[in-house]
Amino acid sequence: MPLDLDPAVLGKEFDHTVYGPVTPEELIAFALALGETRSEYTQPGPDLVGHPTFCVRYKGDKFYPDTIPKNINVRSGFDAGKDIELGVPVRPGDTVDVRSTLHEVYEKTGRTGSMYFVVIRFTMTNQRGEMLAIVDNRFMHR
Amino acid sequence: MRFADVQEGDELPTRRLFLAKEQVRDYARAANQWSARFTDDEGARKEGLPGMITPGNMSMGLLTGLIESWAGPGVLRRLGTTFRGLVLPGRTIHLCGTVTQKDEATRTVELDVWLESDEGERLVIGTATIVLG
Repeated sequence: MPLDLDPAVLGKEFDHTVYGPVTPEELIAFALALGETRSEYTQPGPDLVGHPTFCVRYKGDKFYPDTIPKNINVRSGFDAGKDIELGVPVRPGDTVDVRSTLHEVYEKTGRTGSMYFVVIRFTMTNQRGEMLAIVDNRFMHR
Repeated sequence: MRFADVQEGDELPTRRLFLAKEQVRDYARAANQWSARFTDDEGARKEGLPGMITPGNMSMGLLTGLIESWAGPGVLRRLGTTFRGLVLPGRTIHLCGTVTQKDEATRTVELDVWLESDEGERLVIGTATIVLG
């Protein structure tokens, strides 16, 4: 079934959420859960920074825009993958500003029928305007 | 790890680890992903899954650990992954990688990385870009 998507909606911000301030305890718990032992990820102090993938815990308040084509069932689907471009590390006391856009929607046809892929881009910056990460979340729907 | 020390075709030392259910729950809690599918076998089965599964984000974190244990911290610039299969906790996994390309001008190194089951099935595949001095 062809996608009913207005190309003008791509790249438009549909959510803006600010999190934080990030605590040392949050950074350390995240790193320890990954089995990290490096002191820069696990020891409180001036050298503590977030694990490189720490930012993936932020998703914004609204995960999908209202402009998703109606023939995509957003209630069922799964996480198909992610692409992360990393900027400066998260530090204790940082706020995390998350801006969400619909980045891409495309269809693939397999043996079991059509699959729709929705890519939501989260652009994350800190309180100094420095880029923390750009995270493209790719979800697959039937 | 220095740029000059890396050659195309180099393999990263494989990390073999037992992925305990409690560690996955710890991650789900720390990553704000606390839901039945990541924390509870019975709850996950109600969603049609064979049991609790590992968040894809956690697999990315573990692959990042593989890269940093080989190349050092702070070198990762990009990581892209595809989640191909369910990573079930309570089993042994293998984190693997290989160098695919070097760029002298930018001092970047491209990697293929993947997470595979004890049976050798690649459940998560990806590529990464690192910068070395």
